[in-house]
Amino acid sequence: MVAPTVGVLALQGAFAAHATILESLGCATHQVRAPGQLAAVDALVVPGGESTTMSMLLERSQLLEPLRDRARQGLPIFGTCAGMILMASEICDGRDDQHALGVLDMTVARNGYGRQIDSFEIDIEIAGLDTPFHAVFIRSPLVTRLGPEVEQLAEVDGVPVLCRRGPVTVAAFHPELSGDDRLHRRWLSGIRADRV
Amino acid sequence: MGSGIFKSGSPAKMASAIVEAATHYQDPAILVKVSTGLGDAMAGQEISKLDMKLAERGW
Repeated sequence: MVAPTVGVLALQGAFAAHATILESLGCATHQVRAPGQLAAVDALVVPGGESTTMSMLLERSQLLEPLRDRARQGLPIFGTCAGMILMASEICDGRDDQHALGVLDMTVARNGYGRQIDSFEIDIEIAGLDTPFHAVFIRSPLVTRLGPEVEQLAEVDGVPVLCRRGPVTVAAFHPELSGDDRLHRRWLSGIRADRV
Repeated sequence: MGSGIFKSGSPAKMASAIVEAATHYQDPAILVKVSTGLGDAMAGQEISKLDMKLAERGW
């Protein structure tokens, strides 16, 4: 089985560390900043960063509708932190012009855990992993509602922090910063299984 | 880059152009587009004519 070509949305934010992990797992990676680049990838990481800025840059780069369309067609997506916000169906405290792509039926609050001083790291239990995962939360979104079809894979204090539906996985934290590739590996294995 | 934005002729346009230029730094066509029509950049200041020397600011 040939490894998929994985795009990393590179408009803004924490895209570089994702690419390093994906390449170490044998994937070809492409930075995605334009519609033609999006069309050329088999899967997409939407990284952490500033979700309002990313939303505006998606629009100005003519990527918003193409991304929504590909997501609807089943594009495998791994959204982390701001990427989770962009995948949500509802953002409860965003600017009026911030776009929720509605890929997953869920509601999130931006900076829901507080300001930068409230950022934290914690070992979490993740369904399907034998040992805890060290999760880095940086001004993370807080999930305030999860639709019935979205599976919760991990929680912190009763709040979902890792969720999945089909080929789309979202994390409230930054899985690319822990030196632990298990979540990327698992997301990729789902893609490969779908393609067999 | 704060003063470069706020002392320019059109701060909102300048700020947005800087953000887009940073994202698309490898795409000359976009760089030309976002750099066009920004109005005046922040004017330079001659050091001998400054009312207050930067070194004297702060605490």
